[in-house]
Amino acid sequence: MRSAASTTVLEEHPGYIAVPGAHLYGMLHRAACPLARALLVGPFASERQFAYHVWVRWARYLALRGIEALRYDHRGTGESTGDFESASFEQWRADAEALAGWLSQQQPQLPLLLHGVGLGALLAGKCFSSGAGDALLLWSPPADANQALRAVLRRWAGIEQLYESPENRKTASAYIRELEGGSPIEVHGYSWQSRLWRESFTFKIPDGLQHECPAGDDQHRPVKIDRFGSTSKSLAMPYRRYDECQDLSELYSSTYAWVAGAFRLRVHGADEASN
Amino acid sequence: MEPMKQAIEDRELVSLNGMWVTYHKAANTRQKRRGASGAQVGVLFLNGLYATRAGNGDAVMGWACWLAEHGYPSFRVDLPGFGDSEDDPPADWLGYINSGGYGAIVSTLIEELVRIYKLPGVIVAGHCAGAVSAIYGAATSGQCLGIVLMDPCFNVPRVGLPKYRRQLNLWSRQSRIGGALSGIFDLLKQTRRMLKQEGLPANANLKLLRCLREVVRGGVPVLILRAPSRGSAGLKPRTGEFDYLDYILASGGPRARVLVELVEGSNHSFSNQQGRAAIPEVIKRWLGTTLAYISPACSSVVGDNVILMPSAKESETA
Repeated sequence: MRSAASTTVLEEHPGYIAVPGAHLYGMLHRAACPLARALLVGPFASERQFAYHVWVRWARYLALRGIEALRYDHRGTGESTGDFESASFEQWRADAEALAGWLSQQQPQLPLLLHGVGLGALLAGKCFSSGAGDALLLWSPPADANQALRAVLRRWAGIEQLYESPENRKTASAYIRELEGGSPIEVHGYSWQSRLWRESFTFKIPDGLQHECPAGDDQHRPVKIDRFGSTSKSLAMPYRRYDECQDLSELYSSTYAWVAGAFRLRVHGADEASN
Repeated sequence: MEPMKQAIEDRELVSLNGMWVTYHKAANTRQKRRGASGAQVGVLFLNGLYATRAGNGDAVMGWACWLAEHGYPSFRVDLPGFGDSEDDPPADWLGYINSGGYGAIVSTLIEELVRIYKLPGVIVAGHCAGAVSAIYGAATSGQCLGIVLMDPCFNVPRVGLPKYRRQLNLWSRQSRIGGALSGIFDLLKQTRRMLKQEGLPANANLKLLRCLREVVRGGVPVLILRAPSRGSAGLKPRTGEFDYLDYILASGGPRARVLVELVEGSNHSFSNQQGRAAIPEVIKRWLGTTLAYISPACSSVVGDNVILMPSAKESETA
């Protein structure tokens, strides 16, 4: 059961970081001699558990190669405290920004990567636009938060149908009508408020981050945007096969190569750090 | 900003044998030192497949907080390969779970929690695949005072099911005509089962059922919580499906103390509003009666959605 990666002693430190009104649960994957740091901003609540395996392995991959990584749970989700029903995208953005600040404070001389997936890509992009971080990496960023919510809702409605009798079945558009009519809906155990739905239309990826620019952003900070289509391996797709572990070693190695290049780090080969 | 803390007011992060555990302190002992004596029985939650120790939709987080507020120290764990814990999952993850791969780990974990927190014992609660590991763990632990099985699965996946069968299955769930045809097929299956007096299905997890039978016969209290499932009424399985609950209750022996309860309105993960609200209350109620020993006045059938089997000792007392 123990893989090559797990023969290395993992320096992983979980804990709670205080932000206004909540304690955010974070896991700091320490590197023996850190060369850079990364803040990993995870996907939306409903996708958290489906992306968890991929996210943890990626953090470990980075830490083994000298990039200290902090991943965390958004306020009101997972191990973090706070109330999901009263949380907002703006609040989640403020939390991400606070954690980027917290991580930078630890060793200010080290460059900081902001890396987000799905909705997390929006949050990371917003933080980067306001000046946080030295490089930005986005996996499957939606154009706005509404696009992210719709994608989750479509999948949820499809799955729900399989377990409901015909008279109780609801389509994604029926759920949307409820939200737009002011009623909350329940998706994967989370209660989505119509307020969150309304906010999602205006919470957009910042201008200048819709497309990757080889020269980086307007401050020449490196930016990489990866979009995973329906044919490629999805990182947070529920119900692929519930006991299947994806092999993402190619994605990890190519992404790491970009990070190392962006920060001009000495690249660790596969034989130097076990995968 | 402040440094990271391993503990906040109501909970603490603990590392045990490479696994991360969140410990929810019982409300009445929060001011006392760790491991203070006189603690209540602990409740350990095991995650199902996919879910982390927070559970589907973070439902387990809510249950642990609630039980701790009501005096039961609660623990949530990421078993090896899950969530934040070390190790990668085995190649055949489900096969590993179904054959009891996590049993010894759960058993050791129970002993460790009892030792560290000076608990009189631990109740293990697991959902789906977590329920499977709870059964295997309870079978080898002397400190397990009971198990809570949430929608446990007693069969193993059919290997080599042709693609057309899987597509047919999906179609029958998605379309009305498919649903109607599926109903007829179920009736035929039921008739064949009755005529042939068929026993356990070919894909029954025999090792798990043997293990559960030993646990039940040993007098370990068992609470089985079921969510309503498509095409079934109450606790009875869908037409044509084998009734595992009936089998367990029938083979329990004189010391059996098994309670089966339907959680109305819940879904399989118990993460919807009804499941979230009902689960901790049902567990607390069961803990109250189980730990003080079930009242002899209880009848063997409490209601349509509750089946109770008092132990022989209690029956004699009654």
